[in-house]
Amino acid sequence: MKPTSAAPSVAPAVEAEGVSRRYGDVAALAEASFRLEAGRFLTVLGPSGSGKSTLLRLIAGFEAPDAGRLRLYGRPVEAIPPHRRSVGMVFQRLALFPHMTAAENVAFPLRMRRWDARDIPARVARFLSLVRLDGLGARRPHELSGGQQQRVAIARALVFEPELLLLDEPLAALDAKLREEMQLEFRRIQRELGVTTINVTHDQREALVMSDRVIVMDQGRILQDADPETLWREPAHAFVAGFLGVGAFLDGVAAEGPALAIAGATLPGRAPAGRAAPAPGARARGSLRADRVRLAGAGATPAGCHAAAPALVEDAIFEGDRILYELRLPTMGGARLRAIDRDPGAHARHAPGAAVTAGWARDDMILFDAD
Amino acid sequence: MRGGWLHWTVAALAAAFLAAPSLVVLGASFTAGNIVAFPPEGFSLRWYGQVLSSTALRGAFLRSLEVAAVCTAVAIPAGTLAAVALARWRFRRATAIQLYLLLPFTVPLIGSGIGLMLLFGELRLLGAVWPVGLAACVINLPFMIWAVAASVNGLDPELERAAANCGAGPAQTFLLVTLPAVAPGVVAGALLMFILALNEFLVSLLLVDARTVTLPVHVYNSIRAVITPDLAAVSSIFVLAAAAAIWALDRLVGLDIFLKAK
Repeated sequence: MKPTSAAPSVAPAVEAEGVSRRYGDVAALAEASFRLEAGRFLTVLGPSGSGKSTLLRLIAGFEAPDAGRLRLYGRPVEAIPPHRRSVGMVFQRLALFPHMTAAENVAFPLRMRRWDARDIPARVARFLSLVRLDGLGARRPHELSGGQQQRVAIARALVFEPELLLLDEPLAALDAKLREEMQLEFRRIQRELGVTTINVTHDQREALVMSDRVIVMDQGRILQDADPETLWREPAHAFVAGFLGVGAFLDGVAAEGPALAIAGATLPGRAPAGRAAPAPGARARGSLRADRVRLAGAGATPAGCHAAAPALVEDAIFEGDRILYELRLPTMGGARLRAIDRDPGAHARHAPGAAVTAGWARDDMILFDAD
Repeated sequence: MRGGWLHWTVAALAAAFLAAPSLVVLGASFTAGNIVAFPPEGFSLRWYGQVLSSTALRGAFLRSLEVAAVCTAVAIPAGTLAAVALARWRFRRATAIQLYLLLPFTVPLIGSGIGLMLLFGELRLLGAVWPVGLAACVINLPFMIWAVAASVNGLDPELERAAANCGAGPAQTFLLVTLPAVAPGVVAGALLMFILALNEFLVSLLLVDARTVTLPVHVYNSIRAVITPDLAAVSSIFVLAAAAAIWALDRLVGLDIFLKAK
């Protein structure tokens, strides 16, 4: 077995200190610093161009950092060429070798790492079984379904017991149902083998479902590094609040309280966890998750709310298990808000054009500096 | 679909025009008479019998096979390495090298032929068969490069990174991953080079002497004397051989590989 988090004596699996990578004038990665303990599942979440894939390529060794220090298990990466790193990678387009069978693909890393040829067949069979491909070893990649190809790529990346597993958005091309299945599959295999994993994705759900820890990146910078629940409840940055979940921002001026002043109204809110609220008088944005906004009829205040505003229903979108309301606040300069009704069967629906009241509790509005 | 009939008429005329020479030769080869004529006089296979029993024709045919074999054997490593390098690695003056390698297409064959004749004469290589194969390789190499480049361009660049990630060094990656993945292009290019060398006429004409005539040159020499139907039979065999090679190419790798080159 590989070292897990139960073995605290080993060096961190990955240690980045001020790692940067530029392409011409563009900083793809700007002074990234983090540590990843062995045995953990880390997801790097961000939109395309955020630098998350660059980070993965630096760790895999396909590119070298321009500045900063990057260590894998205590060893500086400069000392190890890519084919000598104990790093398995599942590529975005899988990159299975088309002229080899599934079993030959899985055997390839073992052959290249000069394992005893007598041990290889049994080990390949064990890993094909681990990814539930028993009996399909003789097929070529093009004879396998998308999900099966995915599993071959996973087995190939894990078969040589790498110290680190890298996932470069391998689930992005799959349809929704298969993607959810594979997310759980990755999680199961990762727990079974205890291999340290870095997963890169732009899919917030995937990040929350699969990871012990999530790093959110934007424009080459690390914005937040936290466990999924903290990330969800306590976004440290307006970008993080906007990227995760469905919600909206109210733009105004910070007031004492803390609160947000918009068009004469003062709406109570709170500071991000561990940070100061925007200074009174500065421009600020209040983040409100759609699932925290409650609706009541016009003139009424929804129960348990510290703030309320008249709203017009612009659209009511039926999403099966919930209804998403797109709202406009006429007394707040036409600002937009969203609300989610998780129990659409339980009460009457608000029709588009209806006048309602939108309310929320003080702690549900987090106040950020407007950049 | 207004004007559909017009398209089809033009297409049918073009196809008929392309096929006509081969069909005329094929028909003439079955004649029972003593001169080349179309439509043939009667039907017989006597001229095919004549072809098979002629030692001069058989010798010329074997020499043409040797030329084609030498050409293909040289073209496979040279064309494959050139195509992989040009398509894969961005290096200085890559475009200039690419143009240089395509140069044989822009030089009239008679020009390259005379150049090769002078060069081989200086090197005392005239009179042997294998230099003709080398010459055929030089003038047709762009076809080989195109065929392989089509395969390389269709290759996912991540494959080579995946190989490195699996622990393969640069040489292992090239031999075990890149090369097998471009094999369809190599096969296509090799078959094409073989056909082209088998059929190569103009440059061979300048490089061969009486002892080393290749089949196309032999046929040409013969028609300057008397045009007998055995030449039509030889030509028909040529056409069928080329058709068989194209068929094999399509079955092995598919002809659409030529449509994918850049």
